Amino acid sequence: MPRTTISVDHVARVEGHGNVHVVIEDGVVKDVKMEIVEPARMFESMVKGRSYKEASYISSRICGICSASHVITDLKAVEQAFGIEVSQRTSMVRELLVYGSYLQNHAAHLFVFATPDFINEASIFPLAKSNPDLFAKALELKGLGNRLCTAVGGRSIHPITAVAGGFTHEIGAAEYLAFADEMEAMVPFAQDVVDLFAGFRICDFQTQGDMLALVQPDYYPVQSSDTLRFFGDGVEEFATADAFDHISEYQVDHSGAFFAKRASNGKPYMTAALARINASWDHLGKTAKIASAKAGLRPPALNPMLNNVAQAVELVDALERCARICRELAKGEGSCTPAPVRPKAGVGVGVTEAPRGVVVHKLEFDDRGCVVKASITTPTAQNLANLECDIRLLAGMLAESGTSERIIRAEVEKLIRAYDPCISCSVH
Amino acid sequence: MRSYECNRAANSSEVECLPTPRVVVIGLASCFGCQLQITNMEQHLMDVVGQFELVYWQLASSEPMPQEYDVAVIEGAVTTLESMETVRQLRQKAKTIITIGACANTAGIPGIAAAGFNGHSSEVYSQGVPNACGQVIAPRSVGSVIQVDYQVPCCPIDFYDFSAVLSRALYGSNRTVPNRTMCGDCKRNETQCFFEKGELCLGLVTKGGCGARCPKLGRPCFGCAGLSKDANLDAARDSVARYGIEVAEFESRLQLFNQTNEALCEGAKGEYHA
Repeated sequence: MPRTTISVDHVARVEGHGNVHVVIEDGVVKDVKMEIVEPARMFESMVKGRSYKEASYISSRICGICSASHVITDLKAVEQAFGIEVSQRTSMVRELLVYGSYLQNHAAHLFVFATPDFINEASIFPLAKSNPDLFAKALELKGLGNRLCTAVGGRSIHPITAVAGGFTHEIGAAEYLAFADEMEAMVPFAQDVVDLFAGFRICDFQTQGDMLALVQPDYYPVQSSDTLRFFGDGVEEFATADAFDHISEYQVDHSGAFFAKRASNGKPYMTAALARINASWDHLGKTAKIASAKAGLRPPALNPMLNNVAQAVELVDALERCARICRELAKGEGSCTPAPVRPKAGVGVGVTEAPRGVVVHKLEFDDRGCVVKASITTPTAQNLANLECDIRLLAGMLAESGTSERIIRAEVEKLIRAYDPCISCSVH
Repeated sequence: MRSYECNRAANSSEVECLPTPRVVVIGLASCFGCQLQITNMEQHLMDVVGQFELVYWQLASSEPMPQEYDVAVIEGAVTTLESMETVRQLRQKAKTIITIGACANTAGIPGIAAAGFNGHSSEVYSQGVPNACGQVIAPRSVGSVIQVDYQVPCCPIDFYDFSAVLSRALYGSNRTVPNRTMCGDCKRNETQCFFEKGELCLGLVTKGGCGARCPKLGRPCFGCAGLSKDANLDAARDSVARYGIEVAEFESRLQLFNQTNEALCEGAKGEYHA
């Protein structure tokens, strides 16, 4: 093949504005650029001088779909800086909120964004006619996530009730129990979703980058852990408070988002559902683990295209876990009433697993509780360098075997969407 | 599902069928949350989407932007010269412009960076703003660049508000857009006033209509609907002081969603057309 340039301006069915350019010469990939052209909103500079009361409200607006994660991450940073301990109940309600956003995100990503790739359609809307049952059930699952976020956070995105130290409002036992029933009833469909995605044909290749995820003994953590783990080329565990010592961000001209690499070895890495499943496979619930194994997804799983299946497995796990948390909360033990906040000068680092991977907010406060400095990195910003490497690998492999330009382009787009990039988050 | 023209025809066989309106949805500088809010009302989504021909929606479909359309729905603030050009072109082609959410209506949260904008961009990008960001300018509302026909308020928008504004744009309505401040909504809900607890709330000056959802859930209003035309800022400042809350805190909180509103800062962009 002579020189070919594959360019997709404004990759569709992802959150935000990104372009991809791949240059192939004589079957060899010469250049790959994932251009991140999302408008920069300067959140880190915007929260400077703002009170801790406003910080999480503002940073929620980094991203609509990841808003629950940004809020909880920011609140954890505030609480660490001021030395606030939250109750067990608050932690459980937070977990429910984060998982609500997993249901929303994974269902939206898998069906609205990814599925059209595998059924040769431009969007999900034709599925309403061709497979109305699947379409209705997919919307129902996404709707369950929305309703959970609305019940816990006050609306489906940009939660209202989550504040430093607790929640300003909580639903009653009957509502928790009703959700538990609904979650359990939805599990069989989520199992079908795992099978559906396991059945889609994907290119066989492995990422060469490392992976990053939160880890916790005997638990599959999304917001409850203070330990991060890099793995792949050597295991490296560290406290979330030191996250920015281990993650090295750098600026490139073709992206409004900062790229990132693992500081200790300079390698790009992936953080996503796939990284979580590789890191915490042992702590998946039984149903999710069986579904995953049946789908052929078990560690080490290094094909980034499997992130779709990993998200589907997490749907099964999230539903069962949420049902359990709801039943526990319905017992009415403990309180979520916000703990008293006494601002003081200091630094706090919040880290959670957003649906798309590890998100870090580091906030430095003055003695009045106003932000002096903020540093934020999102899953997609961290993934971009690895995504470029994976596109190079995939396009190279396909070009070498003489695949047509049209198919290379389609596979590259599929890969980008499998990463579930959240571009508006990444630029922030 | 019945379509727009069939509804008309069913009511009177003499009414001529109107062509189905072609709608495009465009995202500028935003969190994409308002577009998500549209998809987040699953049970009604297809009923609403069935009313028109959705010809461009990058978030949901890889169909390219068409040359002709009737209605443009715009989310997000204008933050680059390129997006300024985009909205001007949208205005030229579309018969109707609807802006959704605080970013598009008031410059919203991105608007916070409008004050001392160059300082913000050089602080975030110490090596200079990357080319990929385009030619960045101080954030501004869509309404400060082009004439806007309808606004859907708040951060994020409420789906039912969106659906009401859309039906207003498609079918017309003689209902007036309320200008009242949000305070009255709280009274109606019988929510205890935050000022009595010594806490600042922007319901005093913010456009009503949201049902005072945040105060109802224990959180004071941060002003996401934007300033009401009826807002009496001086009286509000007096009230704030009377309750022993610092007026400076009030001014600072107002900037969250009204940084570029000329009622607050002379010479800033942010006029309203709705």
